[in-house]
Parts: sequence; structure tokens; C-alpha cells
Amino acid sequence: MTETAMVESASAAPPAHRPASALSPARAFLVGRWPAVSLAVGILLTITIIAYISHGNGHARTALSLMFGAAFGIVLQRARFCFFCMFREWFDERDPRGLSGLLVALAVGMIGTFLVFGAWLPDASTGRLPPDAFIGPVGPALVLAGLSFGAGMAISGSCVSAHLYRLGEGSPTAPFALVGVLLGFILGFVSWNPIYLALIADAQVIWLPRYLGYAGALMGAMAVLSLLAYAIHRNRAPRGVTPEVDPFTAIFVSRWPAWIGGAIIGVLATLSYLRLAPLGVTAELGARARQIAGVAGVAPTRLEGLDSLRGCIAVVRDLALSDNGVFVLGVIAASFAAALVAGQFAPSWPTSRQVAQGLIGGTLLGWGSMIGLGCTVGTLFSGISAGALSGWVFAAAIFGGTAITLWGGRRAGLLLRPR
Amino acid sequence: MAAALALSVAVVGIAASSHAQANANSPLVNGEWLEKNLNDPKVRVVEVSVEPGLFERGHIPGAQNVVWHTDLVDTVKRDIASKEKFQDLVKKLGINQDTTVVLYGDNNNWFAAWGAWVFDVYGVKNVKLLDGGRKKWEADKRPLDTRNASVASGTLVIADANQKLRARLADVRAASDSKNVTLVDIRSADEYSGKIFAPPGSQELTVRAGHVPNALNVPWGRAVAEDGTFKPVADLKKLYADAGIDGSKPIIVYCRIGERSSHTWFLLSKILGYDVKNYDGSWTEYGNSVGLPVVNVAGTVWGGK
Repeated sequence: MTETAMVESASAAPPAHRPASALSPARAFLVGRWPAVSLAVGILLTITIIAYISHGNGHARTALSLMFGAAFGIVLQRARFCFFCMFREWFDERDPRGLSGLLVALAVGMIGTFLVFGAWLPDASTGRLPPDAFIGPVGPALVLAGLSFGAGMAISGSCVSAHLYRLGEGSPTAPFALVGVLLGFILGFVSWNPIYLALIADAQVIWLPRYLGYAGALMGAMAVLSLLAYAIHRNRAPRGVTPEVDPFTAIFVSRWPAWIGGAIIGVLATLSYLRLAPLGVTAELGARARQIAGVAGVAPTRLEGLDSLRGCIAVVRDLALSDNGVFVLGVIAASFAAALVAGQFAPSWPTSRQVAQGLIGGTLLGWGSMIGLGCTVGTLFSGISAGALSGWVFAAAIFGGTAITLWGGRRAGLLLRPR
Repeated sequence: MAAALALSVAVVGIAASSHAQANANSPLVNGEWLEKNLNDPKVRVVEVSVEPGLFERGHIPGAQNVVWHTDLVDTVKRDIASKEKFQDLVKKLGINQDTTVVLYGDNNNWFAAWGAWVFDVYGVKNVKLLDGGRKKWEADKRPLDTRNASVASGTLVIADANQKLRARLADVRAASDSKNVTLVDIRSADEYSGKIFAPPGSQELTVRAGHVPNALNVPWGRAVAEDGTFKPVADLKKLYADAGIDGSKPIIVYCRIGERSSHTWFLLSKILGYDVKNYDGSWTEYGNSVGLPVVNVAGTVWGGK
């Protein structure tokens, strides 16, 4: 079932004309939904209470991470902010709405992040980089990582962050994809040293504001975003009129307009960088994969140069959950709550095709995230927002990899078009 | 026993904050004094932390930021910052002849203490540590600020480096054979014995594990209370006297790369007033040197089998 079909059937759920008893819209919305809504409210309350308690115990950063994760999870689920779906809707159906949302997120995130940079590093040309922003080396390894990640998106049907919110929707593929991501990370650790020495050690870390100033980098990026917006809208397919729905359905059931989701994510990215760290969802996954690899004795104990590189990668980790781990749990729990209210929590038994596509695609996603030092959220989105050339290169490689895999996979009869 | 220990730690914690007087002679200031004196133009607060983004996301109001990795060391030569570089830094921080400099940072003030040592090497007077560093300031729920305070350029002219505060490899070698100098290894007992080469996650390692012959082991953490503040003077005196260190002989302190030992250097020289040199080459230099003996009770002198 396509996204649009899902939205239409969902928005068709409430009766078009209200019965004569004229329940208030709020009560009409709750009829038949109250068990799911109660559970969702319970989940969000639990998240809030955990955050409150951990803040009171001197873990303010952890509390904030959890709340940011919850907010991110709700927006991802409600706007269906999935890098693969956005691209596929345009690629297959010439529907530019999703990608426009991504462009809005990038524009807002970049303006916000640059505002923060201006306060923290007033002069961009000193040779220093802004603290802990995801600005990585640009070289062949980044392109390979992007192509792998793009192929993984096409095969598993999502990027890593979207698999997290789909886990909250009960997706049959997501759990296998996330297991695949862990496997891919382990493969990444195994192959890291030779790849680092051959392709990453001499690659340049290019931060655009250093050469163009904040204004120049911002204007250049906005020009590129505008051109991309023009390009994807130029040949868009004609759209039917979206039926009017009541506000409750619009907020809690229908898919949010992508540009609203994008704008909120851009603001969230700015606030997260200001208070905690750039948005990213793979640091904890990578750290856990490294622990597994260590226990299994497959990965080298020393990963060359990894400590000196910036990205959504955590190197040394004990058993305690990091802020990033708490963030990821917040994403999953809150997207589950949002899916419950929307009636989009639809767990099903996985077919063998879903298991295979999840595992294979997830492995490619994990390997790409490890070698690319992050995923579509960390390296691509937070990277572009931070003015890193690595973000742009990774983005081009990812969507290139997705396009090639979709085209080739379908011609070979291995990947099915969504019905 | 454990209860008695816990009780003594608690008592020490309460007592510890009381000896951080802000009189001109004390090397420490406490949060209460600092918060009251933040607007004093003659007080310059400087953060020296190593976690990136920590200062930017909230620092003591009005504090200036010093990046240990680039501002206080010469990474290429493995040396402390050169005189020219440090003079520029002092000017940028707005430090004058009559300025009281208060240093603080993350990691129990290790890097702030390194800063205090470098300030001392270049003859800057009136340099103090905020007792308990960032950890205590935050635990006391004192305010933080994210704005960068701009300060007028400082006019203080720094002196040539005072080599008396710094031990070199040859000094350590001589001290190891001498009855007249005390060597203090402030690393953990496992590093001292050679059971481990370095704390987990350390990138900088040595060919050999163990310690310099005749060095005494007093881990730096024994000198601090639960809240990160220094223990009271009497307790500190006793702690070191029990280990055979009473200030009657010159002392050389070392650790792995010289930053934790700065913490012990600060307390022995500034709080207890002993004659102390910091050996910043530390174990990463000594343990890698050719032709020097080490003591390794754990039997891991060579990593081979």
C-alpha cells in the first residue's frame, strides 16, 4: 500500500458528515480511538516522567536527549520523514512534496546551525572547526559509503532513522533491517583499517565557511537548494485535490505536509546542536556493534584514525546507555505513540522476502554508516546543516546509489515496485 | 569499616569546601566566592576543558575559553606553549598585572591544573583554581551562560619560562638514583604495577608498563573528596606523610602524559607549599626511552609472549 493510499484510507475513516447528535470534534475523534490514545498518552507521560527524574538526578543532558528523541520520533512518524520514501515518491511518481520537505529541513537547519556557529566561532577562517559538528573527510570512501547506504535504502525500504520510527509502527522489516545495520557496522569495523589507510587518511576535511565565510557558504547552499527545488518541481505529476479533513484528523492521522515536518526538524536540529550535539541516530548503534565485534573477536582492537575524525560515531563505550542511545529509544517510543493514535500501528508477521530485504539492506546501511561516519541524519543532514562538503557528497552518493539500485533491481526482477 | 569510610568522606566533603577561602594567599577559590565576584573587573575566569562544545554550551558567566590541545601545548614539539604563543594568549584573555586568574575545567580540573602550572612557569601571579571545577559548580546549581564575554586586551608581560618547575627525563633519571629527591607516580595502582599500560581508551601508549624505580605511588584521586574538591590541608598532609612525603625534599610528580600530575603538582606546591616539579614527559616518555630501567611487578615488561 502506498503512503498516499494509507493517508486516504485513514482520512476517510471519520464520517464525512457529522451525526445529528453533534459530538464536539474532539469527542468524535476519540470515539473508538480512546484505548489507543490512552496508551499513547501513557507512553508520552512515561517518557516525560523519566526525563524529569533523570534531570533531577543531575542527568540534564540525558533528559534533554530523551525529549529531543521523542519530538524527533513524533515528527518522523507524522510527516513520514523518510529519506528513501521522499526520494522514491519523486523518482517513481514525480511527486516532489517529500523531497521539498527535506530541502526545507536543510535550509532551516543550516540557518539555525550557522547562527549558533556565529556565536561560538565568530571567525570561520581561523582554521578551527566548530565544536563537535559533523564535518568529515571528503574522498572516495565517502562516495562508496554513500552508494552502499543508498543501495541499502532501496533494498530495505528505509534509511536508519525511518526504520526506527517504523519499528514504532510495527513494521515487519524494520527489526531485521536494524539487525542488519549492526552486522553492517561490524563489517565496517572489520574493513575500516585498510579503507582508512588507502582512502580516508589523506582525504581533506572541507568546511565551506572556512573558504566562503558564513554568508558565502549560506548563500551558495541556498542557491543549490533552490536549484534542486526547481528541478524536482519542474516535471512534477499533476495532483488530485486533497480532501479537507477536520483539524484533529489533520494533526493526528493524516500525513503532515512535508515542509512542516522539514521545518520542525530544522529547528530541532538547531536546538539539539545548541544544547547537546548534532542530530544523529547511529552513534549508539555503532558503539554496540563494536562491543559485539569485540566480544566475538572479529574487529581489530585499534581502529586507525577514528578518534580524530568527526562524525556520528562513538568510539569507546561502556555498558551505560549514552545520550545518543537514550535519543534513539525516545524516537522509537514516541513514534509508537504517534502511530497508535493515528491507527497506523499495524504489526504483521514478516515474509521471507521482508526478512531477506531487511537483513541485506540493513547490512549495506550499517556498512555505509560506519565508513561514512554517520547516516542520512548525521552525515547528510547534520553535515550539510553545518556547512560540511562531506554532507553534500554523501547526499549525492546516497541518492545515486538508491536510483541505481531501484532501477537495476527492478529490471532484474529482484525489487518490486510498491503496489 | 565501610560505614566509617563513608562517614569520613562525607565529613571531609563538608569540611573541604570550607578551606577554599578567597583570601589573597589561598590557591583555591570556592563557588560561593566566585559567584559573588564574577563582575569584579580584576577577576578573570578561564575555562580549560577538553570535551569539545562544553564551554560553548554553558560556562561560568564571563569566563574565557582556553583550548588545552592548541593553546597550552606545542603539539608538534611536544612541549608547553612557547613564550610568544603564551604571551598572545595572556593578552587575549585580558590579564593584567593586578588580575586574579581563576581557572576551572572538566575532568576534575586536570587540564585547568595544567594551565595553572603553565601560568606559573611563565611567572603569572595570582592564579587560582576553582575548587571542584565544573563538576562542583554544576552540582551546586550555580548559573551558566552561553554568551562570549569580550574583554579588553591584557597588558601583563610574562617572564621567561621558569625551568625549576619542570622536570626533564635526565632529572627523573637522576632522582630515581638519588636519596635527596622524591619521585611520585600519581597514576592508578594498576598502571603503577604494570598490570595495565594505560587507562582504557588511551591512544598514547608505551613499549613498557610499570614505573620509574623508587617512585612512590599516590593516585591523584586520593587527594579529592567525593564532590571533586581538594581534601582539607590536614588530611592532605597526612595522606602524603603516610606515603613518606613531607616536603623535606624536592619532589617530582609524573603520570602518563602530564595532565593528571599537574593536579598533584598544584596541591603539593600551592596548597602544601612543597618544592615540586612536574614531569610532563611522564610515563609516555620514560616508558618508551631506550636504556632506562623500569620496575614492573606485574611481569608485563614486554608485550610479547
